[in-house]
Amino acid sequence: MLWQSGSTLLTQSDRRSAGKAGALSGWSRRQHRTAYLMILPAVVAMLLVHYMPMLWGFYISLHDVNLFTMADWMNAPFIGLRNFVDAFDPSTTTGARALRALLNITVYSAVTVSVGYLIGLAVALLLNQQFWGRTFVRGLILLPYITPDSVAYKVWTFIFQSRIGILNRYLIQWGLVSEPPIWLIGPPALWAVVAASVWKGWPFSALILLAALQKIPQDLYEAARVDGASIWQQFAWITMPHLQSVTVTLLLMSILWNFNAFNQFYVMLGRDPGVAAEVPSTLILREAFTNLRYGIGSALSIILMLILLIVTVVYLRVLRATAGAEEV
Amino acid sequence: MRPRRAIQQILLYLAVGLVVLVVLVPYAWMISGSFKETLELQSSDVTVARLRPTWIPRRPTLRNYREVNSSVPMLSYFRHSILISLGTMAVATVLALLAAYALSRFNFRGREAYTVSVLATQMLPGILFLIPYYLIFTTISRKTGIPLRDTYWGMIFTYTSFALPFSIVMLRSYMNGIPLEIDEQAMIDGCTRTRALWSVIVPLATPGIAAVAIYAFIMAWNEVLFASVLTGRVTRTVSVGIMDYITATSSNWGGMMAACIVISIPVLILFTAMQRYIVEGLVAGATKG
Repeated sequence: MLWQSGSTLLTQSDRRSAGKAGALSGWSRRQHRTAYLMILPAVVAMLLVHYMPMLWGFYISLHDVNLFTMADWMNAPFIGLRNFVDAFDPSTTTGARALRALLNITVYSAVTVSVGYLIGLAVALLLNQQFWGRTFVRGLILLPYITPDSVAYKVWTFIFQSRIGILNRYLIQWGLVSEPPIWLIGPPALWAVVAASVWKGWPFSALILLAALQKIPQDLYEAARVDGASIWQQFAWITMPHLQSVTVTLLLMSILWNFNAFNQFYVMLGRDPGVAAEVPSTLILREAFTNLRYGIGSALSIILMLILLIVTVVYLRVLRATAGAEEV
Repeated sequence: MRPRRAIQQILLYLAVGLVVLVVLVPYAWMISGSFKETLELQSSDVTVARLRPTWIPRRPTLRNYREVNSSVPMLSYFRHSILISLGTMAVATVLALLAAYALSRFNFRGREAYTVSVLATQMLPGILFLIPYYLIFTTISRKTGIPLRDTYWGMIFTYTSFALPFSIVMLRSYMNGIPLEIDEQAMIDGCTRTRALWSVIVPLATPGIAAVAIYAFIMAWNEVLFASVLTGRVTRTVSVGIMDYITATSSNWGGMMAACIVISIPVLILFTAMQRYIVEGLVAGATKG
């Protein structure tokens, strides 16, 4: 599992195979050198793109890096935590936006993750039944997942157009509304993005859950039927417990991905989605690359990372606590 | 019992039909839009029964496809994307192959720490790297005179390291499935390590390698955030370029839908070709990872 401690990360077969390879030729020092040489290029690439920028990100967040100092940003004046204070000062536009962005992304993630998971689960259960054309449908549901983000979200933007969109056509035709709603401006914009993201996100959940469903031994269900268990009881006592571990990983991954959501907001609503649909990524991008206040942008992105870290730790703690209670 | 079974069957097919419908509706709207005349799109109005937007274009036209390159330089964007994606694919595959082989075959100090750090980078927000990365890019360019922003090399390098974490994990789990005895046999027969890797392991791991290569290609093709900041006139990719069809002064939805179809085609072809392996890799990455 992704988030368990390092010691459980490598599977048993990993350990065995590596141990054996080490034993194959006794020259362990040479072995080490070969191994290090082989991972070196990957390490260097990731150092340069991931780890080093992360450290510099901390540095930038503590310095006054803006339009005037950016040319020589490594010597920008040190200002302690002022960027962090300014970034969340509710009396400024940015501060108010930052607080609203955190609220928006929480609402967005909660709805997108839970609805996406439920739909994915329902479809996985459905596709686990026998029916004609099953293989074809299983392939077909991956379409939204593999369609490029910018394509999918532009098509949804087109669907949500107020005057020329297909959605409003049916809303008016069926008499559900009398005036065509404007979906992509103001408060409804967040929900339009939620709808598009759910459409794009559920196939991944369905794919992972279906793979887990297929691993459940069929004789468990047969035994349950012999004992007279209803469909609902079989679901609650056989299916769900078997999906538990994959659900844990899937939900955590979805929460993290959705908290970082950028593409859907940027493609559907543009650089400035407006107060009601502002999210951290769009705010940070604008703060840094439109207003050229890199220090504040960095401070905001570090806060975002810390929030994700806390969410992950709390999630795993709660999980471990409940799992422990069940075992007792 | 029989009628109840029949009803169950009907409900099952209705549910499957609903799923297929939900998946396909946006694609139908995209295809329909790509064959509509600009005039039809601009004059349609949901409030006027006569002008309602329709699924079937009133006067189907191929003009959006023929003129896909006229208002927006889509063909250049397409060329940039192809070069960047192919470059990323080549570099990421080689680096991932070496790293995955080392992780799967050697027991070296720091192996577990390395694996954890590889997985951790996958979960961090991209925006976190973007600001420092951009500033470092700018500084290196100014100090050394080597341009990095808006160059193919800069983009290929950036995307390679994005593709690496998942590629390494996916390929490692594939290689763990290849028995060690095969390496041993090759080396007893007098192969060197390198020889054993290239002429024995690589052919056996071809499906895994192909899946990783296609994953890297698709990742580079679809990326939006870094492309929106780091690419410019010379390297603008399709994912960002697609937005040029709608500007403050004109909205060419027909052209945009045609372009959407054109830029989805490479991804669809590659994914369909290697679907089984990529799906296996995704599932393994999420469950075993």
